[in-house]
Amino acid sequence: MKVGYYPGCTLKGKAKALDETTQYAVGLLGAELVEIPDWTCCGATTPLTQTKIANLIAQTRLLSKTRDAGYDALVTTCPFCFSTLRRANLTLRNDELKRKRMNTYLAEDRRLRDYETPPPDYVPYEGETKVLHLLEWLRDTIGFDRIARACKGSRNETLRVAPFYGCQLLRPAEELAMCDPEDPHILEDFLRALGLQVIGFPERIDCCGSYLSVAKPAAALRASYRILDAARKLGADTVAVTCPLCFFNLDYQQAQMLREYPEFRTIPIMYFTQLLALSLGVPLDKLGLESHRVDPRPVLERVPREVPA
Amino acid sequence: MIRISSPDERREATGRLAELSNQNIALCLQCGKCTAGCPFAEYMDRVPHQIVRLAQLGLIPELIDCEAIWYCSTCFTCESRCPVAIDIAALAEAVRLIRQSEDGVEMYGPDQVPADIAALVPQQALVSLYRKFAR
Repeated sequence: MKVGYYPGCTLKGKAKALDETTQYAVGLLGAELVEIPDWTCCGATTPLTQTKIANLIAQTRLLSKTRDAGYDALVTTCPFCFSTLRRANLTLRNDELKRKRMNTYLAEDRRLRDYETPPPDYVPYEGETKVLHLLEWLRDTIGFDRIARACKGSRNETLRVAPFYGCQLLRPAEELAMCDPEDPHILEDFLRALGLQVIGFPERIDCCGSYLSVAKPAAALRASYRILDAARKLGADTVAVTCPLCFFNLDYQQAQMLREYPEFRTIPIMYFTQLLALSLGVPLDKLGLESHRVDPRPVLERVPREVPA
Repeated sequence: MIRISSPDERREATGRLAELSNQNIALCLQCGKCTAGCPFAEYMDRVPHQIVRLAQLGLIPELIDCEAIWYCSTCFTCESRCPVAIDIAALAEAVRLIRQSEDGVEMYGPDQVPADIAALVPQQALVSLYRKFAR
């Protein structure tokens, strides 16, 4: 089974571990993620003001390219890409004027570009491509029950995981339509399928500080500290995240948290795909753990690493 | 210096904010749920429900001088809890847009972020920061 895959910029740069474990784990589940041709940045955020119309071009181009490559859906792991692409898709479906403007631009753009082999004429994009987060695809196409069977040999119910959603997977809920923004459970369901012990974690829907870690570092540090402090107090061994920016804010900032908050104790952060690969029997040295500031290995050594029979 | 604007000017300003942000700010009840849930309200000089009130009153000069508009991480917690579905992140973005078009000063653009920070953070942090906080 081949699936149209959009990694996005960060997964090819600072979050290689997320990209690699995604591809590795999906391969073990019998599918193949194929990157859509000539992909570019998705724009990272949804333009919220009505005049920022040009900020929809990248998304429209990506979604039409996915369709032209013969895929009915685009699967992405990064919540920023997911949110931006799904919201843009909704706008393109519902807003006739914006759809017209995007399609006019992209048709013109294709004619004017200097291609070695000119592409076929542009077919207006009407919102046909489905945008899926990897979690949704794993649940609806592979099935959490099948994942649970595949992970059976390496069950380890002693690893206590705090699931962390952050903002981009959840909100605005009426547009993303993925989970209840106040009481989501897809990540919990997924982690339980892996055979891990899932902690009830009220802070899982909070914001880690996002890009404020660049603009307002003190505010982002405090937001991330509150999340980790709560996870630690609830007895979590690790916090599972889906987003490279949550990962950075929660992992990298811990050195600063130790200086700022004397009672703080470090806690390793894991991508959900690292936990999936781990539970599928992938050895620790193939999980990209060397990129973590807080080493998860002491905690993970408890999980059996034999490939399940 | 206090600049006093006429009722007509203020009505026009309210209309401009509502149109730019595509939000029906007149509906705000001032219940404060947005402020209660905002992870960065403690850092803001005007908290989220006050921003909406200033927008209802059309007080653009007060709004564009707020430090608060630079503390919005667009996490949409306010939007998801608002009983009348106002997206305050969109309103904050509209205010930033007006601010940037009026004074032209870039505070968080590629030239303002130190090179060592830019090299350290994930790519998406820079792209989203520039798209939200720069022109």
